[in-house]
Amino acid sequence: MATLMVFPLVTTIVLSFNRIFLRDLSHREWIGFANYTDVLSDPDFWDAVQLTTLFVVTVVPIHLALGFGIASLLDRVVRGRKMYMALLLLPFIVTPVVGTLMVRDLFDRGGLLAWLWEVLTDDPFVITSGNVKWILIIHGIWSTTPFAVIALFAGMQTLPGERLEAAEIDGAGFWAKQRFVTIPHLRSLIIFVLLISIMDSYRAFDSAFVFGQSVGKSAHTVMVYNFDVALRGQFGRIGKGSAIAVITIIGIFVVLIPFLRKSYKEQIAER
Amino acid sequence: MKQLRSYSKTAGIHGALLAVIIVSSVPFYWAAQTSIKFTRDTIRRKPTLWGFDVTADPYRKFWFVDEEQNMWAVGLFFLALGAVIAAILFIRKRCETTWPLTLAVLGSLWVALNLFPKTFDMNREFDYFVNSIFVTVLTVIISISIGMLAGYGLARYSGLSGAVILIVALGFRALPRTAFVLPYFYVAKELGILDSRLVIVLALVAVNQPFTIWMLRSFFMEVPREIEEAAMIDGATRLQAFRMVVVPMMWPGIIATSLFTLLLAYNEFLFVRVLAVTNWTLPVAISALAGGDTATTVTEGAAAAVSITLPIVIMIIIFQKHLVKGLGAGAVKG
Repeated sequence: MATLMVFPLVTTIVLSFNRIFLRDLSHREWIGFANYTDVLSDPDFWDAVQLTTLFVVTVVPIHLALGFGIASLLDRVVRGRKMYMALLLLPFIVTPVVGTLMVRDLFDRGGLLAWLWEVLTDDPFVITSGNVKWILIIHGIWSTTPFAVIALFAGMQTLPGERLEAAEIDGAGFWAKQRFVTIPHLRSLIIFVLLISIMDSYRAFDSAFVFGQSVGKSAHTVMVYNFDVALRGQFGRIGKGSAIAVITIIGIFVVLIPFLRKSYKEQIAER
Repeated sequence: MKQLRSYSKTAGIHGALLAVIIVSSVPFYWAAQTSIKFTRDTIRRKPTLWGFDVTADPYRKFWFVDEEQNMWAVGLFFLALGAVIAAILFIRKRCETTWPLTLAVLGSLWVALNLFPKTFDMNREFDYFVNSIFVTVLTVIISISIGMLAGYGLARYSGLSGAVILIVALGFRALPRTAFVLPYFYVAKELGILDSRLVIVLALVAVNQPFTIWMLRSFFMEVPREIEEAAMIDGATRLQAFRMVVVPMMWPGIIATSLFTLLLAYNEFLFVRVLAVTNWTLPVAISALAGGDTATTVTEGAAAAVSITLPIVIMIIIFQKHLVKGLGAGAVKG
C-alpha cells in the first residue's frame, strides 16, 4: 500500500532533477536544479499560477456561501427534501469532462446562454481566451456547490432546535441566528469543507483541459500546464513536468498547513 | 393571519429551492434536448426551443456502425433486459435469502453486456464503455476489500487516532494528480505495460485508498465492540465474527464508500488519458470527440454526454440515501 503511494512521490522527486524526454525514456541525465529554474522563469507557468489563484479565490468563497444558503433552505423544508437533494447532486456526480462539455455547449454558438447574451446585448457571444476563465469559474461553482450543500446540511441536522428557539426568544433575527448560533456550531465542518474545496479547486484539471482544447493556453491551470509540458506530443519533458509537480506539492502544502493543523487540533480537542 | 404568513414563507422557500434546481439543471436539460436534434437545428444562432424535429441520429452515430440502425430493436433489447431485472427484483422482495437473486441481477446485466455487441454492430465507443465498466468494477472491489481490512484493523487495534489517519488521507488527497501520474506513466512505459487496464485500476486504487480506509474506519467505529465480543464468546472466531456480525451491520457504510469509489473510477479522466493508448474509457473518448469543433459533433457529443450520464443517474436514484448519508457522515465526523 505504502509503496503504491510513496514510491511515485519519490520517483517524481528523482525525475525532477533529470533531463528526460518522453520520446526516449531510457536516456536520463542528472542536471540538478536546472528544471526548477526553467519552470520558475517560464511565463506560461506564472500565467497558469495566476489563473489557478483566481479560480480558487473566486470558486471557494462563492460556492461556500451558496452552499450555506441552499443548505439552510433545505433545512427548513420537509416535504420534497429527497427530491431536491437528488436533483441538486447531479452536477456533483456527473463526469467532470461531460459536465464541462454541457456547460460549454450553453455558451457555444446555438447554446442557450450565448443566445440570451445576444438578445440582451445585441452582440454574438463567442468563447475567447479573454472570457474563458469566467466560464471555467462558473463551471467550478456549479460542480462543487452540491458537496458543500450536503455536508453543511448534514451539519445543520445536528444543531439542536432548542438553541435556535432560545436565540429567537432572546430576540435574535434571522441574521443574528446564523451569525451567533448556526455558524459557530458548524465551525469545524466549515473548515473541513473549505479544506476539501481548496484542494479540489487548486488541482482542477478536467474542465480546464477541455476548454484548453478549444482556446489553448489561456485556459491552462497549473495542472493542465503541467500535463502540457510533460506529456503533450513528442516534445514531452518528463523532467520539467516532475519539477512542476514538486513545486505544486510544496505550494499546496504551504497553503494547507494552517488548515491541516487547525483541523488536527480540533479533532484532538474533541476527544 | 399568522398561519397565512407561515404558508407564504414555506412557499417562498420552495420557490427559492426550485429556482436553484432549475439553474443547476439547465446544462442537463440542454444536453438532453441537443442530443435528439438534427444538426441543422443546433447551428442556428437562435436556438429552436420547441417544435423541432426529433431524431435518434446522434445516438446512432456515437454507438453504432450502421448509421441507419433500427433504434426500435435497441429499445426492445433494453425493454427485455428491464423486464428480466424487474421480474428478479419482484421475486427478491418475497424471498428470505436475497443474495442469490442479487447475483442474478448482476448476472443478467453481465449477459446483456455480452449479448449486446453480438446482436448489434457497435462502434469502438462500445469497447470504451466496456473498459469503463471493467475499470470501475475492479477498482471498487479491490479498494473496498483492502479498505475493509485496513479500516477494521485501524478501528479495533491501532492506537493511532482518527485525526492522524484523516490528516494523512487529506494530505494525499491534496497532492496533485500529476505527481502520481508521471511516475506511473514512466514505470509502465519502461515495463511495457502501458495501455493495460490493470495499470489504470492499480493507479486509481492507490490514489483513492487513504480516503476509503478513513471512511470505512469511521463506519467501523460505529459498530459496538461488545457485539463482536458476544459472538466470540458464543464460539465464533474473529474472522467469523467479522464476516457474520460486523459486515452485515456495515452495509450502509460499504455502499456509501463503494459509491464514492465508483464515481471516482467511472469519472476519471487524467489517469486514463495518460496511461491508456487505445484502451480508453468513456470520458477520454468523449473529450477526444469534443476536440473537433465541427457542427455534427455538437449533437453527437450531447448524445455521448447523455449516454455516459444515464448509468450514474440510475445508480444515484437507487442509492441516493446512502450517498447523502455518506457525504454527511464523512463531513460531520471529519
